[in-house]
Amino acid sequence: MTGVLAISPGCDYAGAVVSARLMPARQEAALHRDDSWESLLARANDGDGAAFARFLMVVSPTMRAVIRRRGCDLPADQQEDILQEVLLAIHLKRQTWRRGEPVRPWLYAIARYKVVDAFRRRGAVVNLPIEDFADLLPEEQAASPLALRDTDVMLAQIDSRSAGLVRAVALEGKTAEEAGAALGLTAGAARVALHRAMKRLSEAAGRMMK
Amino acid sequence: MTPKRSTEDLIRALAGQPVPAPWSPVATLGATLGAGALPLALFLALTGVRADLAGAMTQLAVQAKTVLPLGLGGLAGALAFASARPGQRFALWPLALPLALGMALVLLRLGIGPEATVLAEWVGSTALVCLLSITALSALPLATGLVFLRRAAPTRPALTGALLGLAVGGGVTAGYALHCTEDSPLFFMTWYSLAICLVTAMGAMWGGRFLRW
Repeated sequence: MTGVLAISPGCDYAGAVVSARLMPARQEAALHRDDSWESLLARANDGDGAAFARFLMVVSPTMRAVIRRRGCDLPADQQEDILQEVLLAIHLKRQTWRRGEPVRPWLYAIARYKVVDAFRRRGAVVNLPIEDFADLLPEEQAASPLALRDTDVMLAQIDSRSAGLVRAVALEGKTAEEAGAALGLTAGAARVALHRAMKRLSEAAGRMMK
Repeated sequence: MTPKRSTEDLIRALAGQPVPAPWSPVATLGATLGAGALPLALFLALTGVRADLAGAMTQLAVQAKTVLPLGLGGLAGALAFASARPGQRFALWPLALPLALGMALVLLRLGIGPEATVLAEWVGSTALVCLLSITALSALPLATGLVFLRRAAPTRPALTGALLGLAVGGGVTAGYALHCTEDSPLFFMTWYSLAICLVTAMGAMWGGRFLRW
């Protein structure tokens, strides 16, 4: 159960667990029973929507890894698009899995089919290097005022030293080492600090979205 | 909205959808057999089953020209259904067994039969009728089977279509053999095989186009 929760942040299973405390013991036991992929998909095909949501949540990291391995040169949002195509296919074809059989070979075959298909369809378009369009693209303006204001709001969420580091690397284009040296950090420490700062920033962004 | 959040929204939306209707192998089999039996029965009713059917059925070659395509069709049908589910393992080599048995009959005929009539037996006199009848009679069951297989999830659509074509071609050929009076293995191993190959190619082509998902 905790494993599932760790894999799927943002999903409202935390709520499910809380409400489980209010349920009779028998139902609580049902919630905690066998959460193998097979069991989840079997329940999903019986019409249990929550089990299906959980199934898709727990297979998503694996599917992401499959997609990333094949298309690491694709931008993250396109990889996520492909993931969504795979999830949709899993939904549409979920009845072609036969209960009693392992889910993984079935799932991987679907993923392979949809991923190959997705890359075949977009491969030719997306793999063009951006340099080819350099003279077609308007020159990037020095960040719009609004974006700068957003940046300041975001950077105010973390401590000033980390903010300085992020500003130097992300906005002024310095390397982590250069930025770290200015703050008296070694190269390794600078990279770690930058990584932590980015993580805190994305968490802060997540909080602000809600 | 970040991509991951939109994925979570998609998952929530999918979980709220009704469970899609399952693919039914039984319904697919029934519909394909029905769509095949109907035109075949009509064909046999119009052109007639061979007059000497009961007597001829005692000969090995006559039995073989119905039994071998029927066996091939059954095997291919089972494989087509297996290939329609993602992640199923299946081996294609059993399909070579009917072919091998048929080739054994050809060799037997060449070994012991009269040499003078080999060419006449091979070319026969109804080769074109045979090719046209089998392919025409196969079109409807093949299309029907493909329509039903769209519910399934073949990860190699052209292969699944080809196997279905092989199954339908085999079944129709077994029925056509009840009408055809050319009993030399030289004839039927050439022209029946060619007709079944045509239907298989048709299945591969249609499958590659219509079974994608």
